[in-house]
Amino acid sequence: MSRRKRMMDDIDQDIRDFIERETRDNIERGMPPEEAHYAALRRFGNVTRIKEETWEMWSLVWLEQLCQDVRYGLRQFRRNPGFTAVAVLTLALGIGANTAVFSLFYTVMLHKLSVARPEELVEFLYKYPGQPRSDGPWKWGEYENIRDHNHVFSALTGTGFDNLARVRIDGAEPETLILESVLGNYFEVLGLKPSIGRLTTPQDVPASGDAGVVVVSWDYWNRWFHCDPAILGKRILVNGNPETIVGVAPRPYTGPRVGNRTDVWEPYQKDAVRMLARLKPGVTRRQAEAEINVLYQSWVDQNNPGHESTRLRQKRVELEPAGAGLARVRDLYGKSLVLLLAVVGFLLLLACFNMAGMLLARSAARQRELAVRVGLGASRGRLVCQMLTESVLLSGAGTLLGVLLAYFGTGVLVHIMASTQAHQHVEIQAKPDLNLLLFTVGIALVTGLLFGVAPAWYAVRSSPGPMMRRTGTAGDTWFWHWFGRGLVAAQVALSVFLVTGTAVFLNHLSRMRNFDLGFRSDHVLLVTIDPSDTGYKPEKLAVVYQQLLARLKTIPGVRSASISGCTPIEGCGSGSRFLIAEGHVEAPEQRQRPAISFVSPEYFETLGIPLLAGHDFSLRDVGRPRVAIISNAVARHFFPGVNPIGRHITVVYDPQPSPFGDAQPYEIIGLAGDVKPWELHDSPYPTIYFNMFQENHLDDEFDLRTSTDPAAMAGTVRRVMGDFLKSVPVTRVKTLSEQVDSDIVPERLVATLSEFFGVLGAALAGIGLYGLLAYNVARRTNEIGVRMALGATTGDISRLVLGDAAGMLCAGFVVGACLVFWGRPLAASLVLDLKPVSAGPLASAGIAIAAVALLTSFVPARRATRVDPMVALRCE
Amino acid sequence: MSTKEQREHIELLQGTLDLLILRTLLLGPTHGHAIAKAIEFRSEDVLQVEQGSLYPALHRLIKRGWIAVQDGTSENNRRAKFYRLTARGRRQLEVETSKWDKLAGAIARILRPAETES
Repeated sequence: MSRRKRMMDDIDQDIRDFIERETRDNIERGMPPEEAHYAALRRFGNVTRIKEETWEMWSLVWLEQLCQDVRYGLRQFRRNPGFTAVAVLTLALGIGANTAVFSLFYTVMLHKLSVARPEELVEFLYKYPGQPRSDGPWKWGEYENIRDHNHVFSALTGTGFDNLARVRIDGAEPETLILESVLGNYFEVLGLKPSIGRLTTPQDVPASGDAGVVVVSWDYWNRWFHCDPAILGKRILVNGNPETIVGVAPRPYTGPRVGNRTDVWEPYQKDAVRMLARLKPGVTRRQAEAEINVLYQSWVDQNNPGHESTRLRQKRVELEPAGAGLARVRDLYGKSLVLLLAVVGFLLLLACFNMAGMLLARSAARQRELAVRVGLGASRGRLVCQMLTESVLLSGAGTLLGVLLAYFGTGVLVHIMASTQAHQHVEIQAKPDLNLLLFTVGIALVTGLLFGVAPAWYAVRSSPGPMMRRTGTAGDTWFWHWFGRGLVAAQVALSVFLVTGTAVFLNHLSRMRNFDLGFRSDHVLLVTIDPSDTGYKPEKLAVVYQQLLARLKTIPGVRSASISGCTPIEGCGSGSRFLIAEGHVEAPEQRQRPAISFVSPEYFETLGIPLLAGHDFSLRDVGRPRVAIISNAVARHFFPGVNPIGRHITVVYDPQPSPFGDAQPYEIIGLAGDVKPWELHDSPYPTIYFNMFQENHLDDEFDLRTSTDPAAMAGTVRRVMGDFLKSVPVTRVKTLSEQVDSDIVPERLVATLSEFFGVLGAALAGIGLYGLLAYNVARRTNEIGVRMALGATTGDISRLVLGDAAGMLCAGFVVGACLVFWGRPLAASLVLDLKPVSAGPLASAGIAIAAVALLTSFVPARRATRVDPMVALRCE
Repeated sequence: MSTKEQREHIELLQGTLDLLILRTLLLGPTHGHAIAKAIEFRSEDVLQVEQGSLYPALHRLIKRGWIAVQDGTSENNRRAKFYRLTARGRRQLEVETSKWDKLAGAIARILRPAETES
């Protein structure tokens, strides 16, 4: 560029020089000076023209031609507003869907954390054979061992688990925020600098627990203090403990988990660490993994004598890149997002076919124009450029609109993703980003070129001679004739594929929802209260709770009420306790650790968990011998083939080794069906239930089975509870089916979106079919006219058009079915527990597409029958 | 005075002027005016370059990398643009010259078959 400019500047000077020399020569030859100058100028020629010619050497002719093509293309679009609108909308939907899904994919899977040198960060995961990998927790000893003895990391730090904390500023309502407990060196290892104040250091962590200082997020600072530096030294209540704010984290840093916004960081030092490390320069992840596994095994041998080590020895450590955030969200959504990317990719391909078909029909209609241009000397290359420019222009306009759609589309996706369980809460902020922009522009260009190629090629082949004479009726060769049909068939095939996918995923979703959960998720309202600040004594609270239960049952529409610590799918954790049953002997390492659940009477009735044998707890159990209800899984393990009712079982705290020691046995009074405590994909987890009133272990989640829509009753229930327990706040109200939905977010995401894309795909195929048929009818007006003049009935004519449509439909359906079979393993590898595809979804997709096709071919067929033979023939 | 046809002839024969410029520069770097003069002089004034047409040709050659331009000082101590042959231009000159020889020979054989035979 600079060379070009320099050259052009030089020309002036050089030409002036030239003329001066010539003038001097002329003077030497004896001319008077004035005449000599004019003679030189004459000799030189037209200075301006020559300058321009030379200038052109360096100018960008192609750029001017491009501008010309763009102007011409825009004029074409203005002249065909209907075509342009459909085309731009089609592309906008295709490109918008891709942009939306990709921006999500990018944010979740690729976006780097804003920490120093994110590519060095790795996260520790471990894996037992045959189980999914887990990110911790690691024991303090394990952490220390690796910190002190490794040679592969430049630094090692750790963070605690996702904690929801109730944070309160003086004079405000408490809010629930994400609190991250971090080791002292956390900020230093991540290389973060404070926005204001200081970040916590190892000196902040006292040997005994509470540090009393916290760091808050920039967002929190802005929300509550409007970025006022006076925040430093302020006290806030975190879970009831006063903490001093010593600093604000850098603005872009919102914690190590994608989509989780940490608001408070609190230094800590204890067991349960999630480890994060920085690889030394030059050390690969594999090398580090090898060393850490050796290190870990030797630690196991030294520190875990006996049965524990057999199990621990099977534990493999895996290092996962953490520069894009911790792996959990990626593990949770990765496959769904890949699947969605594939789906929108197919949708875009469909849109491309659609556009290619439309443009082809249009360039057939423009054949005369093209032929004239070739006749007037336009080169083939210029025609191709022209056609490609037009298609890229269309895709450009489609992209602009598509980005707008994507903006709203991402909102919908994020809304679905945000409905997860609180501890998995994902909040995606798709920010404008250079990479995203590049992706979008790239996709626009590729799309434009892809669907522009066929029409451009078509344009090149139009020869001026015959076309000028003809009226543009039957100029197509058989190749183009079949090519157009092929495009429509391809659209039908792709839409069959997409709609089948939709049917499969919707089926899958409803199967997940109606899974044999072991409980009935409909018509249950869950209300959690927090009595911790009110100072009720447990004994007093038990009485109050029993009265409250009785009161709740009097609300019209409430069929039963109970209290529990947690409800299925919410995660009723397994404790560090295991069971010993009389008459059952097993090796210590095979002991099960069951989930322990403290519930009130009527819990099973309320949640619809079947009692397979025995009877429920009752309020009369208080003060009498201890009783328990076990789940089927526990019974199968301890009492295979035996009726467990009346047997005794003991809970033992690990690692306390004394069986039948001080722990009192429970009498088993009931056998309950299995439920899924954590996730729908889990196998039933052994669970043992105790009567919370008997154990005096009160929990705060009230479960109500209602006879009407539970969400509609929330207000009434809230009011009743508020009247009854004036000072106790209600912290959460949700329905059990929401809770179930929150566990199948990836499935819902895939199903909802593919539903949308399936409908879109069918619509696009319909438009494509309509376009081609309408075009064919218009093109064959003469032929139809002749046929009618020769006695064809309207029935014959519509059969002609519909037969054409049916042919393309069948071909498309066959190819689509092949695609479905080809895509089956792909879908199965990306969706957990996907049922093998049966013919059902394929058939329903076929019917849906056929219906759309019939509907769209109706109009052209009708138009064909209305052709007036006289008018048609007169045209020729 | 050369005829008008001759002048047009030079312009029409694509690449002829280029060849002459390259040949002229083989003798050493020089400025635009000197190139025009040299072509006229060496063709004994038969070939009259329309002097202006020299410039598009010069810049075409620069763009192709066959000649280069640099600042220099002329014989009477004035700053001027000097054009010089590049290594690629030198090779190109050989190619063009042999092409021209073949062309001229072939045309000559067609126009004067008797002379070539005898």
